Amino acid sequence: MDRNNIKMGQYKIIFTGPVGAGKTTAIDSLSDVPTVKTDATASDMTRNRKAATTVAMDYGVMNLSGGEKVHLYGTPGQERFDFMWDILVEGGIGLILLLDNTRADPFKDLHFFINSFSEFISKSSIAIGVTQMDLSSKPTINDYHKQLQGMDLKPAIFSVDARVKNDVSLLIQALLFSLEPDLKGE
Amino acid sequence: MENKGLKPLQLALYGMDERSIKMMGMYLKGPCKGIAVVVDEFKAEADVIDADHINAKKIIEERKTKARPIILLSLNKLSIEGTFSVIKPVQKLEMISVLNQVKKYLSAYKINKGSTVKLKELKPSSPEKRPAGSKYIESDELKKTAKHQTAETLSESGFSDYMGLVDGIAFSKRDRKLGASFNPKDFFLGQVQSALKTCKLKGRILQLNLGWKPLVMFPHSREIWLGANDNQLREFAGLALKKQSSQELSLSSIDSETTDFSQKMDEIYDMDHFLWKLAVWTSKGRYPETIDINKPVFLIQWPNFTRLIVTPHAMRIAALLMMGPRTAMDIADVLEIKPQYVFVFISAANVLGLVGQATRQVDGLIVPPEIKELETKGLLTKIIGRLHG
Repeated sequence: MDRNNIKMGQYKIIFTGPVGAGKTTAIDSLSDVPTVKTDATASDMTRNRKAATTVAMDYGVMNLSGGEKVHLYGTPGQERFDFMWDILVEGGIGLILLLDNTRADPFKDLHFFINSFSEFISKSSIAIGVTQMDLSSKPTINDYHKQLQGMDLKPAIFSVDARVKNDVSLLIQALLFSLEPDLKGE
Repeated sequence: MENKGLKPLQLALYGMDERSIKMMGMYLKGPCKGIAVVVDEFKAEADVIDADHINAKKIIEERKTKARPIILLSLNKLSIEGTFSVIKPVQKLEMISVLNQVKKYLSAYKINKGSTVKLKELKPSSPEKRPAGSKYIESDELKKTAKHQTAETLSESGFSDYMGLVDGIAFSKRDRKLGASFNPKDFFLGQVQSALKTCKLKGRILQLNLGWKPLVMFPHSREIWLGANDNQLREFAGLALKKQSSQELSLSSIDSETTDFSQKMDEIYDMDHFLWKLAVWTSKGRYPETIDINKPVFLIQWPNFTRLIVTPHAMRIAALLMMGPRTAMDIADVLEIKPQYVFVFISAANVLGLVGQATRQVDGLIVPPEIKELETKGLLTKIIGRLHG
């Protein structure tokens, strides 16, 4: 965790993952303000039809007691925007990686994002949510754990429906408890 | 060429300006009358994209995630995996041929989707064999609503009401662990565990008959169906079985060709979810006799909490155990919680095979890692409070 940013009140949780994994939806389900989406570059026709637009970065806020805020950032899923990732993670509390289980090779996505964010993960923490498991049950959560064996990384890996606040909330709780199990919130 | 009596294919158009959309709509009403129509995106069965549009690549990528057939219109012959291609200017015969191919593809998919679901299990799919760029969907998985339900989180206050009380255990005293154990074999839990072991060994779908409700086990998809609701199961889980009942226990094979489960898909549970809740309701805050409570336990991996019952402090206990092995009493002391919350967690995690115990004496001598207090603890506590709230 970047102590300087934390001291300056720059509290962030970063959501990353491939296109369509549910980053925007997950941020939407937690944010106290309407999620801000940037770089919507749809064509006129697409916009007219209210089709999902290409999103480069999402932003939401969780208001805490005492006026503090936690900023929720969704990284662009496309690799061509990876130059932004280093900037976005600065001062982040931890990383939420969302993976789409219906994609052709979700393990490739898993390794790609873990490698891309390895420096940040080593300084903070990571929790992984696997989305769309109600559409494709394989690979299983255990399969994902097996993929990480030998990487000296044992993160929480949960099935997540990004539309369900409770799922996203539990994933973030796991991230925070991984940093400090002694937290009392109950 | 009109296909009388057949529903026209519903298409959504992308990468086209208003004029092109209008022209394509008229074209489909003319030369392709009755074969396809233009509809709104949310009603469409297939997508048509002008592949020569400036943002075509991006549009194609986006539409590929929607698991609908894609027809690409282009000046050049395209060969993109998972799509159909039509050369511009569009020729009537070629267009009709492609539209019919898409219809065939969709009707094959619908037959598969609407077919009677027998007890046959889906073969485990290998993600490595999935075609690149496609969206892999199991049509029946969505019907298993119970399996994909989000977790129920129990607070301390609701725990006793939910669990029921076990008499004769004084958790608050120093000798609190005395009498706080249970033998799974004396309960339904033990019978289910034993039956599952046999089921996995045989690799066949089996039904457990115990003189109570039928329980069907699917070893390959790791699913369970029980002919009882949660209230009935909770009550039965806590009852010690009479010894003679084990003689009544039997396993019978299920004929996968004749037994129809298509109406019961929403009652199918993930095996881990079922075992976890059964263990929670059996434990009621006690630990299983198979665990030596004086020896440290370790957690192999995080339980999939979003699909399990989250007992009080379960997330904290899991996080602590992921840092290193500890005894149950040490966990209770470090987290300042009642031992019964640790015991119930260990009981449930143990049933899923997620808990291990160090067998070497030296392992018990290792001092558990110290928890360093982060300077952001206050902030993290606030976030947890906000998430719980």
